[in-house]
Amino acid sequence: MAEDAPPPEAVAAEAEEAPEAAKNGKTSMPVKVYAPFQVYFEGEALSVSAVNETGPFDILPKHHNFLCMLVPCVLKIQPVEGAEKSIKIHRALMHVKADRVVVFMDV
Amino acid sequence: MRRPLEIKAEEASVRSVVSLTSALETLSSMQIAKTKNKVLISNQFFDEVWNIYKQIRVDVLFNFGRTPEEKPIDKELMILITAKAGLSGDIDQRLIRKFLEHYDEAKNDVLVVGHHGALKLKQAHVDHNYYFELPEKDYINVNPLMDIIRRYAKSRIFYQNYISLSQQEIKDVDLSEVVSSKGRVADLSTISDDLVSEKNYIFEPSSYQVAAYLENSILRLTISQFIYDSRLAQVASRFKAMSAAKERSMETANELHTEFNRAKRLQVDTRLKESLAGLKKIRAGGAS
Repeated sequence: MAEDAPPPEAVAAEAEEAPEAAKNGKTSMPVKVYAPFQVYFEGEALSVSAVNETGPFDILPKHHNFLCMLVPCVLKIQPVEGAEKSIKIHRALMHVKADRVVVFMDV
Repeated sequence: MRRPLEIKAEEASVRSVVSLTSALETLSSMQIAKTKNKVLISNQFFDEVWNIYKQIRVDVLFNFGRTPEEKPIDKELMILITAKAGLSGDIDQRLIRKFLEHYDEAKNDVLVVGHHGALKLKQAHVDHNYYFELPEKDYINVNPLMDIIRRYAKSRIFYQNYISLSQQEIKDVDLSEVVSSKGRVADLSTISDDLVSEKNYIFEPSSYQVAAYLENSILRLTISQFIYDSRLAQVASRFKAMSAAKERSMETANELHTEFNRAKRLQVDTRLKESLAGLKKIRAGGAS
């Protein structure tokens, strides 16, 4: 059995800060991105961007319940505080329910 | 009785066994803490995925991700998850014993994970059809295992389950049954609000594709979970075996120490007796 499935790596966060207006004006949503042994991100975010078979998409607060498979891509999270986070994804499942976004990595 | 120097040398070698088993015991204890922590963290992840699976699948059919056209091999695949090497107590031996109770050469093919299990099977004169090393890292790529499992009509997995530090048991489960039972909802009336359906969810690319993907994911997670469980049981069994070995070697060392003291005393007594006898002889000679 191969053991070399590389763990998804967090790509260096981009320097761009969330605009002040967006921070204050928008509502946020709890986001968790994790694998069996590691939590890559957990906290409030303004948006989550990823890519599935249909193409790139964004999840904003008050999104409809959503379940999708992600294709290899860079998942981008805009947290309420701080710079945008980018996480490289090989295989993942995204679940959005009641304004909560969970990304299960390596499933 | 043996000479004291001989006993002393044997005691020294037993004392080094005590040090060795003691070091291995400490190492196993650290590994248990580490592995147990990882299993606990991963269980939270698995439970959350299981929960989605449970809500999306209310039927109990599980097809190993096969399409209806694919004809599976009409045999049961026996999957044995064993330790990488020896020094893990009798846990692999027990697993092989349990496997042999079920094994029928004509009806079963065998897949072994772990070198120690493969060796034990060879000793039991059973040939395995597939072999994989037991992965040591956190991220396990079980895809090669799944490709084989998918080809068979049925699969049974034999694994080691951690109950406590002193107790580990061997379990065998039908893989499709265990996945179906996890996806099965006991009371359908309780799922009305949580049910994941096209009415209250958007699926991408489609609900069927997401369900099929989840079926594969669940199988992947189930196998990974069995491997993590087995790893924990193996280190616990190693700890138990090392504790017992340490205790036995300490007893032996203490017995040898007593034997050494006795031999030494006997040696002194003998010399004293010889000296006294010599003295007596000298005195008797002087008197005459």
